Order: sequence, then structure tokens, then C-alpha cells
Amino acid sequence: MLGLMLDAVVIISLVGLALQSLYAPSLFRSILHFVVFGLAMSLAWARLNTPDLALAEAAIGAGVTGALVLVAFRRLIAIQPDQDKPSTESRSRLALPIALGAGLLVAILGLATVNIETLPAAAGVAVLNNLSSTGLENPITAVLLSFRGIDTLLEITVLLAALLSAQAVTRPDALEKSIVTQNPDTPLIGGLLAIIIPLTVLVSIHLLKAGSESSGGAFQAGALLAAGGVILALTGRLSPSQQPSLRLNLGLLLGLLTFIVMGLLPLLNGQPLLALPEPWAIYLLESTMMISIALILLLLFTGSISLRHRRG
Amino acid sequence: MTVTESLALILLLSGSAFYLAGTVGLLRFPDVYCRLHALAKADNTGLCLICAGLAILSRDWQVTALLALVWLVGLLASTVSAHLIARHAYMAGQNPISARKENECLD
Repeated sequence: MLGLMLDAVVIISLVGLALQSLYAPSLFRSILHFVVFGLAMSLAWARLNTPDLALAEAAIGAGVTGALVLVAFRRLIAIQPDQDKPSTESRSRLALPIALGAGLLVAILGLATVNIETLPAAAGVAVLNNLSSTGLENPITAVLLSFRGIDTLLEITVLLAALLSAQAVTRPDALEKSIVTQNPDTPLIGGLLAIIIPLTVLVSIHLLKAGSESSGGAFQAGALLAAGGVILALTGRLSPSQQPSLRLNLGLLLGLLTFIVMGLLPLLNGQPLLALPEPWAIYLLESTMMISIALILLLLFTGSISLRHRRG
Repeated sequence: MTVTESLALILLLSGSAFYLAGTVGLLRFPDVYCRLHALAKADNTGLCLICAGLAILSRDWQVTALLALVWLVGLLASTVSAHLIARHAYMAGQNPISARKENECLD
């Protein structure tokens, strides 16, 4: 009964927040509603007993994406100040039919999936049966790195491609102004950073380690680490720079390069491509991917080629 | 219902009441400083009460320690962010409502 009520609250707030973020009178309100929508979505995943997705949604969907959208908004109003005004454009007449059609499609697909009987030879069962061969306890990490490693390899490549495209179209002028508006030199900031940043690093390493037996993994840990970096950028401790830095570029590529090398190594022993042999390989891969993901997300936020450290 | 359960229930309910009061304050108070005052104080107390209630229900020292950490991090984040918002509003030239009224009387 209580669970049902909770589900109802989550569903109603999801639909309400989605409508609000589409129909809010100003762009800024839309963004805020979208961020809260991400949080409600992560609650929904938690209610569906998928803690991995809930973590990823909270860290990436609500946290990092929210920061990215907000900084994009700030740059947008610097270029086009009238974007923040309530929009007077009327919606296309096609909007409602398209929305209803899409909703119907999702409902039909959902109903169809609910009614499907699980096949005995389904992939999920195969994963659970072969879990012991990977040395991992969390089937999700096993799928991500051992069984479907190629997907994860392509994911991190896509993330890198996204960063390169963002860097290609970002205007380098006034980057710093768009992140830090006023110099936050209040003593409280130093105190906050002294506690929050070590905690962020600690929790991301915990998430990384937890990925092998319970919920967690490189993407969640990387997003959390990036969030720590975003705090440093917002408080002016890290500032965007246009000087390319070799160390940073190596860090960006580290995850992908390690994945490629580890993926090719099994070929020497006559094993198939991407057959990750041991848990240590997976730990190495996850750690390097966490660093790369965090750096990529942070650079997407600052919109710069590299970062400069500044004493606070 | 045992004594611990009823104690936890009282803590959880009063925590929710603080949250509700803070939210009503956020929606109804006249200026940014009053709103921050309502939010930061009431929500921190609410969080403390709810964490205490959950800690009693969990009967586990590890969970209790984690909940205490949650509360402390929440305190830290809300203190600093409330301070920064108030500072930003003050720098942007927003006067507190009472000062504004006095000025209007002087005019």
C-alpha cells in the first residue's frame, strides 16, 4: 500500500515535472524543472529496484547534465539576452498529435514487453550462469565490461567525440566570465571545499570499487568526480584555459587507450578480442575510465581546451 | 508498535512538519533573505529529525554513522549555498524588506 502510494507520487511528479519543463514560461524555469525531473527519474529507477541506473541518473542525468545545461544557458543569454524572456511563439499545431502518438507508441511497446515471457535462453540468464567466469559479483558490471565490452568501448569513444565537437564549436572568448560571475572570496568557500572535495574523491573511489560486487561503476564514479571538478571550477580554483596541456590530453585519452590495449592483448594468446582475463584488468580499466570520464565531463562544463589551477 | 518505533514515527513526522514549514516559508515570505532563513533553518532541522528517526529504525551503528554524515554534509551545503545566495542578492543591490519599508517611509 505504502509502496503503491510512493509509486503514484513518483509517477505524478514525473509527468508534472516533464510538462512543466516543456511549458514553463521561461527557459531558466524549464532547465530547473528538467533538473528536478532527473532527480525524480532517479527515484523511479530506485523504485524499480535498479540502483545502478538510479545512481547513474542522479549523477549524470540530474547532476552533470544539469550543470552543463545551466552553463549553456548562461552562455546563451550572454550572446542572445532576449532568450530569457517568456516566449511568445505559439506551438505548432502538430505538437499535440505527435505527443499523443509517441505516448501511444511507448504504451504499446511497454504493454508488449510486460506480456513477453522470459525465454530460457535469454541473454540475462546466460550472464547470470556465466558470472563466475568473470571474477565479478555484479552482473551489470560483468555485462558492461566482460560480455558487452564493445558497447562500453564505443560509449567512451562517443563521449570523447562529444567533447571534441563541443570544443570545435565553443567560442573561446569570455569563457571564464560565463562560469564565475563574481569572485567568491568568502572564507566559507575554502571550508566547504576542504570537506567536500576529499569526500567526493572518497565516494567516487568507493563507487568504483563497489562496481565489482554491488551498484556502482566507472560512469557513476566519473560523474561524481566531475561534479567535484565543477565545484572547483565554479569557485574559481580551476579556471578554463586555452593552452593545450599534454598531461590533461593524456588523461582524456587514458580510458580509451587502456581499453584498446587491454582489448587487443587477448589476441596474442589466441583468445577473442576484448576477452578481459582477470579482475585486475577490469579494475585497471574502470579506474582509467573513471579518470577519463571525469575529465571529459569537466571539460564539457568549462568548454575550454584545458584547465589552469589557481591558488584559492 | 514498540517504543522505539513510535519514537521514530514522532521524529519522522516532526521532521516532515519542519520541511513543510520551510517550504511554506519559501513560497510565502516576501524577500530572498526571509526565504533563505526559512529554508536553511527549517530544512536542516527537518533533515536532522528525519535522519534521527531513520537511525533509530535501522538499529545499526554503521547506518547511523552514515545518516549523521548525510546530515552534516547537508548542513554544510545548505549553509554555504544560503550564504552565497544571500551575498549575491546583497551585492546585486537587493535590500531586505524591512530596510526597504523604512526607506519608503523616509521618502
